[in-house]
Amino acid sequence: MGNLAENNTLHADLEPAIDIPSDNHYYLNMGPQHPSTHGVLRVLLEMDGEYVVEAQPVLGYGHRMQEKMGELKNWRAFMPNTGRMDYAAALQYNHGYVGLYERLCGIEVPARAEYIRVITSELNRIVSHHLWIGAMLLDMGAFTPILYTFDDREQVLDILEDVTGSRLTYCYFRVGGVCKDIDDNFIEKTRAFIKRQRERFDIYNDLVTGNIIFIKRTEGIGIISPDMARRYGVTGPVLRGSGIAYDVRKNEPYSVYPNFDFEIPVGQNGDSYDRYMVRLEEIEQSLRIIEQALDQLPDGPFLGKVPKKLKMPTGDCSFAVEAARGELTYYLVSGGGDIPYRLKIRVPSYSNLSVLPELCQGMLLSDLVAAMGSMDLVIPEIDR
Amino acid sequence: MHPATEKLISALQELSIQVDACDYQQRGYHFEIDLEADKLRSLAECMLAQEMFLVFVGGLHVKPAIEIVYQFASFERACRLVVRAAVKADNSMPTISDIYQGANWHERETRDFYGVVFTDHPYLKPLILAEEDVDLKPLLKKDEDLKETSEVRWAAPVEEKPEAEKAEQG
Amino acid sequence: MGDQERGKLNVHSYSAELQARLERGAPGDFVVRDPGPLFKHKLADDIFNLCRANSLWPMTFGLACCAIEMMSLGMARFDISRFGSEVFRPSPRQSDLMIVAGTVNKKMASAVMTLYDQMPSPKWVIAMGNCAISGGPFAVEENYNVIEGVDKLIPVDVYVPGCPPRPEGLLEGILKLQEKISGVRHPFPQRKISDAPSY
Repeated sequence: MGNLAENNTLHADLEPAIDIPSDNHYYLNMGPQHPSTHGVLRVLLEMDGEYVVEAQPVLGYGHRMQEKMGELKNWRAFMPNTGRMDYAAALQYNHGYVGLYERLCGIEVPARAEYIRVITSELNRIVSHHLWIGAMLLDMGAFTPILYTFDDREQVLDILEDVTGSRLTYCYFRVGGVCKDIDDNFIEKTRAFIKRQRERFDIYNDLVTGNIIFIKRTEGIGIISPDMARRYGVTGPVLRGSGIAYDVRKNEPYSVYPNFDFEIPVGQNGDSYDRYMVRLEEIEQSLRIIEQALDQLPDGPFLGKVPKKLKMPTGDCSFAVEAARGELTYYLVSGGGDIPYRLKIRVPSYSNLSVLPELCQGMLLSDLVAAMGSMDLVIPEIDR
Repeated sequence: MHPATEKLISALQELSIQVDACDYQQRGYHFEIDLEADKLRSLAECMLAQEMFLVFVGGLHVKPAIEIVYQFASFERACRLVVRAAVKADNSMPTISDIYQGANWHERETRDFYGVVFTDHPYLKPLILAEEDVDLKPLLKKDEDLKETSEVRWAAPVEEKPEAEKAEQG
Repeated sequence: MGDQERGKLNVHSYSAELQARLERGAPGDFVVRDPGPLFKHKLADDIFNLCRANSLWPMTFGLACCAIEMMSLGMARFDISRFGSEVFRPSPRQSDLMIVAGTVNKKMASAVMTLYDQMPSPKWVIAMGNCAISGGPFAVEENYNVIEGVDKLIPVDVYVPGCPPRPEGLLEGILKLQEKISGVRHPFPQRKISDAPSY
């Protein structure tokens, strides 16, 4: 600490401290109970004054044996667990799981069910981004935005609650369709929400996007280069912030996503600010998808014919979806019967967070919070 | 086939690694590779050179040896590969965490769950489980549940005779 | 960072104590939580308790899904501040209510106990959600990591079931706790949530 305090020019230039030979390194334990770790992440920090020399995340404080339970239960019994992995975007986890069984067993899904899936999971993506904007700014010390985003969030939760029956940990999709049809009331409310959300963007922009404190704290902070993203397997908005337009919805289209016209927003610099802009734009793109899906919504059954006990062929199968935080891949190995032999769940935040040790070398501690916040971490998802 | 994918396949074949094309509609990936543990590092280097990213590393407990499953995919095009490699006799596997840094945590997690030792890994301490549970290995199957490798693979196409298929896979 | 230096930071090595607590089980065996009132006078005690009940300071202790519902409770729609508990503190030293919102596992258990011990008396605990009550969906036979009920580690005052409970559920839990502390339910019922304007 002493070295930096004596040399004030260092503070002016914000030179990274790792070049300075110093024996004043100390260790800081951030978490597992820390408001900006979004739950129960623990980061061991080696510090030189205010600068981070090395950071080592310690996982496992939210480990809930999801992969073990996946090997013990058939799909009906494991379905609720999928909604509890990433509780901020539970429907996409539902989607990946049912998609896996439909691909493996060759089950047809009615067109209406696919549209309902797309509409509800895009609504869920918006909810997740609402939560993220609020939580990230809360980490950085801005309390007001979270009140606005949660206000919008509650509107969507009301809509989703009508059809799914729960506010947060959905268990709505079924192999072969969804468990409840949507009605005119749902469509009407969703259209009203789309209109309302578009008006709210102005508020977000006034409150956050143009805010000089926000810009100063995020621009150029936590830059992830495309090469680094590839080495770590970073996906989702964090990757798109670095300028790579990778989106499973476009790259390996599933469900009825090829029917919609939408864009993949990308950033340029790969810093925290770009990740914010990408997510904000993603809300708009999700609104576009929902609008088109509501217009095209076909009639028909919402749940196809599925045998009571699935007979899986032996073999392995993989199903990737674009969850709110990136690519979610279920990989199932079946030995016959209706219970998987092995269920591997590749969660996006796991790879996204693994960048952190390389990312934060020489960073200020307060920037670490901004960089970590911009990754949109959900710890029980990482630990599974 | 996308030209870049063709390039990747030929680069892998130069390393004398056999690549089998799969039905994407049925399996959700395009190619599968069964690999010996020794060739893993050269495969990973080839993958990185061909701009693929590592999706996940996971274990699979089967007889006779635990298999490690690697999945690679591309940011630019639809191309997904599954690589399976059985661990060596001493329950070890070469690390690829110096090639794909993202594999670091995946390998630590696999060590937590299956007890597979990744040789030359920089920091192979428990990641998910507590330090006291270092020998827990929760995802290892009980003996009565354990299956043969051939029992968890896709059956070969119907044209082949079942006897020939068994002999080939066993 | 060398291994030795890391070792210094291994603050959660309470496994022996954890094991002892898990074996002991029943919450009745715990040490006395409250050393007793400052003044041995009933009226003073009642006044203090009324004040405590109406200004509970919860700790932000989100462990899993329930944490999001706990956040929702603090936001404008459900507005916990109507009942005087909106001051969420990140530090145990400044709070007197621990809302265990989520699954506690073996690795987290020692941290939960440490945090509880660090809170100043008098202190209360709400177990929010099925995981904190009994392990919820994770209390399976092959369970190797999840603590089946936070009441095995620390004494719990109010249980709020649900997976996750709705914010109204947690609100009711807080009102129950106020009733437990002061003997009376919140005397000024506010506007019902169902009467709130819908959008």
